[in-house]
Amino acid sequence: MALSSQSFHQAQNFDINSKRTAIFLYNFTRYFEWPKSMKTGNFIIHVVGTQNQNLIQELNKMASTVEIDGRKLEIVNSNNLVEPNPVHIIYILKESSPLIKEISKKYIGKGSLLITEKMGATKLGSAINFVVVNNKQQFEFNKNNATKAGLKASSELTGLAVVVN
Amino acid sequence: MLNSSISYYSLKNCLCFLSLLIGSNQFAQNGLLDSAQKLCLEKKYDLAIPIIDKVILDPETKLNAGSWSIRAIAYFQSYKSIGKYDVSKISLIDTALSSTYISMKLDITNDRLESNKILVKSIAGVYYNLSSVLLKDSLNSVLSEKYYLRYKKMTTQLNPSFDFKEKDIEYYRSLGSIFLDLYMQKNFNQEFGEIAKTSLIKVLDINPKDISANINLGVFYYNQGATLMRLSDYTTDLVQLGLVQDNALKLFKQAEPFMLRVHVADPKEITAIEGLEGIYVALLDEVKANEFKIKKEALIKKQ
Repeated sequence: MALSSQSFHQAQNFDINSKRTAIFLYNFTRYFEWPKSMKTGNFIIHVVGTQNQNLIQELNKMASTVEIDGRKLEIVNSNNLVEPNPVHIIYILKESSPLIKEISKKYIGKGSLLITEKMGATKLGSAINFVVVNNKQQFEFNKNNATKAGLKASSELTGLAVVVN
Repeated sequence: MLNSSISYYSLKNCLCFLSLLIGSNQFAQNGLLDSAQKLCLEKKYDLAIPIIDKVILDPETKLNAGSWSIRAIAYFQSYKSIGKYDVSKISLIDTALSSTYISMKLDITNDRLESNKILVKSIAGVYYNLSSVLLKDSLNSVLSEKYYLRYKKMTTQLNPSFDFKEKDIEYYRSLGSIFLDLYMQKNFNQEFGEIAKTSLIKVLDINPKDISANINLGVFYYNQGATLMRLSDYTTDLVQLGLVQDNALKLFKQAEPFMLRVHVADPKEITAIEGLEGIYVALLDEVKANEFKIKKEALIKKQ
């Protein structure tokens, strides 16, 4: 059988979904204003959940190539988020969804943008929640949760999101 | 992979026959023609060529079908003596072919019809094998296809009812596979990708169930979609990202039926299962992606 010798393996070495998520995360940094106290030092994205190492690799790759407002991008990855350290974005992977409520409570007013990927997560305190609509990655945006977290959101974001109140 | 399998078997028969023909040529009274024939019989083809080239200009022998046949043999054998399919010497074969056709035209009594036909068949075999060599060694798809089509045309002239279905499948499947590899190796080069796609579609036009063509086309469309995402910069804005997603989505959906067709025909074909898993991951369809992941794992466990 004259199959391409590269076949599907080479294609699979590239993780489409991780790249897509990385682009989304970078974009979110454009649409929010963080508190003054968080405008110095590295821009930190903390990913909660360790099962998607392709994503961590992609984010680290992004961190080595882009900056956020002239600041270095730093990726942190762990299974939990115990200490309320200054984190600009907390991205809770699906596997860690049971922690959403707890983490969102801990980070009220701390200036952390909480991003999740679980249906109904905005009701648990998430400001941005990834959803799939017709095989396409989209996101829900809950402005109230963003405000509670201490962030100012651009009005443009509302037009790009599936709005949830 | 394309098989360079058209042998010289028929040519050997042809040459035995033509040796007799050369030896008994009724026009041997011409000095130059006589010398050329003699050199051919002694297998000194390179020496025969300049002489036979004069013979075909001589008013006495230029309208002699035998002169042109001998010329065809000399050029053909000269090419064959190189010992490999050398594209740079293809003019020898082209001359052999044109000489054979002139001989056929002049051979009003059809005395040489059979021997000329055998010669045409042998020359067609050279073009076929060259088309294969050009693909595998030089990756020259344009010239390769040109020679393949020439082989087909010549074969059709000899046998108008010849069924090219299998040969076409073999050729275009091979062309598609080689250029799909290149497409991926050369950083998803679109030019190579288009050659691969066009060739594989030709295979499916002949046999819609061809497994390798279906899989390779599925891989091709998947990779096209993946490439859109791969080439997107991290700073791509959300509006643009939406468009990239839309276009990639179309391509992933285009890939799906090719892989599904193979999976339905052969549920144990692991490349199709892997392909479908990848496609559904890209389509963010967790349920289906998981279904094919389980199938893949079960199959690997059995092996």
